[in-house]
Amino acid sequence: MFLFKLLSYLVGYVSIAIRGEHPEKFINMAAIRGICLWDIRRLGENCVQVNVRLSAVHPLRHIARQTGCRFRTTKRRGMPFLWMRVRRRRAMLPGALLFVLGLYMLGSFVWFIDVTGNHRLNKAEILAVADAAGLHRGMPKWDLDPDRVEKAVREQLPGVSWAGVYVKGTKVTIQVVEAALPGKISAGPAHIVAQKAGVIKEMLVLAGHPAVKEGETVLPGQILISGIVPPPEEPKPPAVPPGEAQPAPKEPAYVHALGTVRARVWYEGYGEAPLVESGRRPTGRTETRICMKIGSREIILFGPRKIPYALYEKDTSVKELPEWRNLRIPVELITEKYRELENYREVRDRESARRLAMQKAMQSVQAQMPPGDKILRRQFTDLVVKQPENLVRVKLFVECLEDIGVEKPFTPVPGPGASPLPGGANPPVRPPDGIPPAPAGHGPH
Amino acid sequence: MAWRELKKRLSEFLEIPGDVMLDLPRIVMVGNLQIFIENHHGILEYTPELVRINVSGGELQINGSGLILRNILPDEICVEGEVKTVTFVR
Repeated sequence: MFLFKLLSYLVGYVSIAIRGEHPEKFINMAAIRGICLWDIRRLGENCVQVNVRLSAVHPLRHIARQTGCRFRTTKRRGMPFLWMRVRRRRAMLPGALLFVLGLYMLGSFVWFIDVTGNHRLNKAEILAVADAAGLHRGMPKWDLDPDRVEKAVREQLPGVSWAGVYVKGTKVTIQVVEAALPGKISAGPAHIVAQKAGVIKEMLVLAGHPAVKEGETVLPGQILISGIVPPPEEPKPPAVPPGEAQPAPKEPAYVHALGTVRARVWYEGYGEAPLVESGRRPTGRTETRICMKIGSREIILFGPRKIPYALYEKDTSVKELPEWRNLRIPVELITEKYRELENYREVRDRESARRLAMQKAMQSVQAQMPPGDKILRRQFTDLVVKQPENLVRVKLFVECLEDIGVEKPFTPVPGPGASPLPGGANPPVRPPDGIPPAPAGHGPH
Repeated sequence: MAWRELKKRLSEFLEIPGDVMLDLPRIVMVGNLQIFIENHHGILEYTPELVRINVSGGELQINGSGLILRNILPDEICVEGEVKTVTFVR
């Protein structure tokens, strides 16, 4: 039936009003002749409306004469009539053609350039290189050579290890993969200072002058390996004849200290666990409701109308359409997630409460510790309060071995004897922010 | 009538449907919304309340309201609307 109607629309059909003594006769004769009529309805006494294909109108005239009926066309529908109307409007067809042509033309230019995959590199920098290689906004797509742009980006930007240029419609995407650059090593002189307090367990000095010994206690900020290397000790010249110039004292060398300093450091943690615990916790049952908010009305698209839980918590996320200029479409998609909660009450004996408290204490210590530390010793202490209470408190001491050295650059102070010689005794603890070493004897402490 | 009786017996014996052998109308109703009549012999009367259709061996009357003839082909009629009764009249 749909196909029939579509075909009728394509070849064109008309609605005719038949007026006469017996319209039924007319309809019968048409049907016998094989003329297809449809949607026959009575308009009034002696008057019937019939739809018929355009090609069948001419034979109907004979039938009308034979049956003594008259008919006239009331509506014309279908492509032929549409086509006639289009032909009457001269500018319409060229306009439509121009539109399609314009769409095609505008679609063959590059209107958007996007850069993805860059984290360190600037987008403008990549675009500048691409521009030099012949990719710019508003250029025709047939002039674009993606291989050339890819090559230019890859070769002219040292931070890029791979580049891809994709054309999708009017949008060109430059995808880059940044090269992993080796970590920068500052070239200037630097000390290695302690990050935290501890007792030095082992030291490995690769460059620089050791400022502390194993077994020594250090404070945060204290120099462990100094970047100031004193000149090698020379045997004192036996005698300097008077009158001759004293040999100038050797300048100390300034190096970038390198090495590992492992120290024993301590962490303290605390954990507690009640003997009777009560609270609320999720049961694991959830319901999701998706609503659409249009203006101020909310329509539930999916999910229950009423939340079947007595106790629950709710997560709401709202998705909005992007704003354009100052036009905002007041449609929101709201997803609400309801999680059922239950009240619970748990009673533990002292032993399991203690275990839980120990676990919590360990967690609190692990939060402070850098990963990869080696734990040497741990010691749990029960804290006992005078009044008996329904709480087990545990204190934890952890001793571990850790690399506490951290690089700190400094600016050497030139001048003979002006630099402290970090041999033997501890040099004064330096303020943490890159102040050059103070002259000997005038240390900050 | 004897000839007709013979044809009826024959169609029963050979299990041939009556609408083929005896030129009887085949009527299909879709609820009370649509009636398809095959093997019709033309319409006798059409108003929105009553449609009379000539079939072999009598006439078929369809009473209802808002009836329209959806389709007319040489051997098929489709009537749409609210059908109340379908009657055979000799």
